[in-house]
Amino acid sequence: MIAALALVGSVYAAFVPGGAAQGAPAPSSDVSAGKTLFDTSCITCHGANAQGVAGRGPSLIGVGDASVEFQVSTGRMPAAGQSAQEIEKQPVFDETQAQQIGAYIQSLGGGPQLPEGNDLSNGGNIAQGGDLFRVNCSSCHAFGGGGGALSSGKFAPTLANATDRTIYAAMLSGPQNMPVFGDNQISPQEKRDIIAYIQNLKSDPAPGGLSIGRVGPVAEGLVIFLVGIVVLLFAMLWIAGKS
Amino acid sequence: MSTHSGLHAAEADNEEFDHTDPRLSRFDLVKEGARRDGVQLVYYAPRFPVPGTRREARVVRAVGLLFFLSGLFATAFVVAYIWWPWRYQDGSNLSKLYTPVLGVSLGLSLACLGLGFVAWGKKLLPEEIAVQDRHDGGSPADEKKLTGETMLNMVDELGIKRRPLLAKTALLGMLPLGAVAVAPLIGGLIKNPHKPDILFHTGWDPSLNSGHPIAVCREDGTKIRPEDVSIGGQMTVFPGIFNTDGDFVGASNDFADSPTLLIHLRQDDAQVLRSNLVHVPINEQNTWGNFVAYSKICTHAGCPASLYEQQTNRLLCPCHQSQFNILDNARPIFGPATRRLPMLPLTVADDGFFYAKSDYQVPVGPGFWERP
Repeated sequence: MIAALALVGSVYAAFVPGGAAQGAPAPSSDVSAGKTLFDTSCITCHGANAQGVAGRGPSLIGVGDASVEFQVSTGRMPAAGQSAQEIEKQPVFDETQAQQIGAYIQSLGGGPQLPEGNDLSNGGNIAQGGDLFRVNCSSCHAFGGGGGALSSGKFAPTLANATDRTIYAAMLSGPQNMPVFGDNQISPQEKRDIIAYIQNLKSDPAPGGLSIGRVGPVAEGLVIFLVGIVVLLFAMLWIAGKS
Repeated sequence: MSTHSGLHAAEADNEEFDHTDPRLSRFDLVKEGARRDGVQLVYYAPRFPVPGTRREARVVRAVGLLFFLSGLFATAFVVAYIWWPWRYQDGSNLSKLYTPVLGVSLGLSLACLGLGFVAWGKKLLPEEIAVQDRHDGGSPADEKKLTGETMLNMVDELGIKRRPLLAKTALLGMLPLGAVAVAPLIGGLIKNPHKPDILFHTGWDPSLNSGHPIAVCREDGTKIRPEDVSIGGQMTVFPGIFNTDGDFVGASNDFADSPTLLIHLRQDDAQVLRSNLVHVPINEQNTWGNFVAYSKICTHAGCPASLYEQQTNRLLCPCHQSQFNILDNARPIFGPATRRLPMLPLTVADDGFFYAKSDYQVPVGPGFWERP
């Protein structure tokens, strides 16, 4: 009975955000550095203490550092302007600064947190990750990770530039129109499997040499058709010119 | 000069040409044959008047080399086809080059063969210029008349007008023969979709579980609790059906019409959906808490309509860009789909897992003739 209680307690402690076992509170120096960055670059839209400004930007209370790190480290935030969807661009802040802002937002209202380290695919089962990718991710990001169109100008971005941390953060926080895949739905180990699969998919050379966007037989057929027709056309011109 | 006059002239000359004359060479006979077809050889000269020169030998060697290379590449194709590693292997390795190797070897083989024949024709065959008159259109009036009367005479000989019985019995005999020809083709298309009645039932039908509600399962057959789906998240779920060996078959092709999207809405979005449920009375009892489950099969052409936008609350179908409003009973708001996605009646049983209260209340997927 006591052992069972201890087990339940430790499992609980492991899952509660901000608990002692995982995600130890960031050093306050990070939080204050993050607050400085926030107050100079984010406060216009997200308001003082990240409470949001109506019509400009949402409240960031409770979004967690996973969301902040995804948006900032991929350059989506600070936003260039209101549009159908924030797009990936040259980041304004580096990795450390993104994590500092994340630590500040985390200190305000908690929320989903990223694990430590840059290598989040280590120990992932690629085959298992492939199964999960096809069930959960491929409908929008396509089987080759090339992304695809959504409604009204929105789109699922390509995974070509995604790092382990951004993929993990995207699953955890569900940025923009991406669904949230919390740890109850896809466990941390399964997230590692998926990341391992995506990174393997990206690093594995395309059979035949050219990937042609990895969007499948339609693109390949189009290239064969256009290139083939043009080559035949020039061959015809050459033959006609010779005789 | 018209062809006809040319041909007639050639025929008139035939009398003077003695094909048994032993002095005629083979080329004379060839020329005569061409002349009778209205072809005149204006110029004719061998490429190499003196046989066996060094230049001729060089051209012959080049053409021979092309044929040899063609065979070599074709052999390479066969060898690669059999022995080149073709199975998928991770990383940079020879298997990635399997298709290009086959394509390049076959392409080079065909190219060498073609170049060889072209070179043979252009460099070794005699140079010649032949002229043939263009044929004038239309047959002469007398030939038209003669052919027409010949055909009408055939009808007269058959006597169809005088013997109508024969024509009718011939038709009567041939009709069933025609049916024999089309029977296997059309017969294969005739099927009764209502035995068993698969269009109106999916894997969520409780009769598949001896009348008990079917559990909502992941792709591996494990049941799902409400807290397993994140807020603003979705999960593709399958009916919890197991075969007699205890293997999960709910995600197999036998129940390909059953995949369902289980969505956990945010609180305020769920409020909007609940207020909209009155638009479709059969859906009123189908949601559970902030959870809603829609069929994943698009009502337009049956593609998986599972591109879930969690902020705009839309479901998209990737095939023809149909869009469904999740907060209004999956009403189609864009694209070719005309009907709502059916909503699965959800509940959570005492054991804390999701179950389907019943099968879908309307048929899933694209329309069909007898659809109510």
